[in-house]
Amino acid sequence: MSSPILSVESVHVSYGRVEAVRGVSVEVDEGGLIALVGANGAGKSSVLAAVSGLVRPKAGKVLFDGRDVTRWPAHRRVGAGLVLVPEGRQILGTLTVAENLRLGAHRRRRQAAPIEDMFELFPVLAERRNLPASALSGGEQQMLAIARAMIARPRVMLLDEPSMGLAPKMVDEVFTVIEKIRATGVTVVLVEQNARRALRAAEHGYVLDTGEITHSGPAKELLDNPRVVEAYLGAE
Amino acid sequence: MLQQLANGVFSGAIYALFAIGFTLVFGILRHLNLAHAAIFTAGAFVGIELATRSGIPLWLLLPIVAAAGGIAGVLLERVAFRPLAGRDDEHFAGLISSVAFGSVLIALLQARYGTEPQSFPSGYFPNQLYEIAGVRVTLVQLLTLGLALALMLGLAWLVSKSSLGRSMRAVAENPTAARVVGVNVGRVTAGTYALSSSLGAVAGVLLSINLGQANRDLGLSIELIGFAVIILGGLGSLWGAMAAGLILGLAEALTIHLFDSTWKGLVAFALLFAVLVLRPKGLFGSVRVREV
Repeated sequence: MSSPILSVESVHVSYGRVEAVRGVSVEVDEGGLIALVGANGAGKSSVLAAVSGLVRPKAGKVLFDGRDVTRWPAHRRVGAGLVLVPEGRQILGTLTVAENLRLGAHRRRRQAAPIEDMFELFPVLAERRNLPASALSGGEQQMLAIARAMIARPRVMLLDEPSMGLAPKMVDEVFTVIEKIRATGVTVVLVEQNARRALRAAEHGYVLDTGEITHSGPAKELLDNPRVVEAYLGAE
Repeated sequence: MLQQLANGVFSGAIYALFAIGFTLVFGILRHLNLAHAAIFTAGAFVGIELATRSGIPLWLLLPIVAAAGGIAGVLLERVAFRPLAGRDDEHFAGLISSVAFGSVLIALLQARYGTEPQSFPSGYFPNQLYEIAGVRVTLVQLLTLGLALALMLGLAWLVSKSSLGRSMRAVAENPTAARVVGVNVGRVTAGTYALSSSLGAVAGVLLSINLGQANRDLGLSIELIGFAVIILGGLGSLWGAMAAGLILGLAEALTIHLFDSTWKGLVAFALLFAVLVLRPKGLFGSVRVREV
């Protein structure tokens, strides 16, 4: 049994007086794919913000590759291979597509993939490489956000709501890309409101509700658990 | 007439060099750094002190002044802006604390040098005179112009093409997205101040070299003109600041030629108000640094 590459240990996150995450523990083995699901505002994105260093947890620990990274700044985590694809994509719209990708690679010069590899994987980005990223459609921007993380050849990729606001066909494409990322051995932490879809892709799942984990286990079992289905997945 | 225009180009180059440093910080960080004029003045004094004490040559003096300006910029960011980051009144408070930083710097200069002008040692720089098409220019003026242009183009290149520039533009657009991709926002912020202040210090020493001396109020003379340049060119626009610097320099020179020097301040600010009324975003619109 290998030790997990990433583990979150009873993390608490607060914004002012609002406690968004209350003692959440999550772990993922190297090469694995876990899904964090739950309603809007359940604290899923806050867990990822704490893991990626965008917020500092009020209590608890984040361990990455055996090191305590809880107090590391975000850029140092990116350098170590812990990379976030943020909610709402956070594309730099005034920069070109190619500049966005180069930014994604700049903290990991030694490990980063050649930019041409990304263009091969995402031909639509190649065509628009010199356009400002704001000229891309929503789906294309999501691909750019994923490519910007992939180019760094991360060890763990954190995906925050990658299918949000996309047309069904683009959603399929996003999940295909996630499978591809998986296949290259990258560990994936997937946060999704599209819970059923996410749990089908994952091995292990966690259900969050108002900042706490209410259910966790093998993803298949969660999909079959009537209480989870009723409260979080709804009718198919 | 031509002679006046040539003089206008020289002062315009210094205005532009002063203004790009100021506008860079605004364009990237949305900070109005009102200590910029004090750093400009300090650059002049550092230059005079070095020339007087050590007699080091000009080509070595300029990089040292630039480095000193850079250090001052890092310190300025550290004490006057960083402690305010994240506050609701961050921008207004930063404006005030930068005024305070500038006042401290000027007070320190006054404590050391008094209020009398300090001069470069005589014969410190060559006073060769050239005559080009009936216009007399000194070698120092030509050097000033060449260096100012090189620094401005260099800055434009750095912002648009280099890795640091890319990170700066990322911070300008969206600091959170910049952090997500691994930009060290703190370091880029400090680097922006270092660059800005080193340009300001070099502009100051170049002006004092052309005047042969500097006093405590050197920055006051350029501060308002510099701000007019920045507004005229569009806040945050590097090309706008460069062009507007030259335009104001030439406008001043023409005023002196047509009327006399007492009118030159009036013309600069009349031009400013005319632009504000006719084109509120400045001559070049509010093009941001990131769109250089």
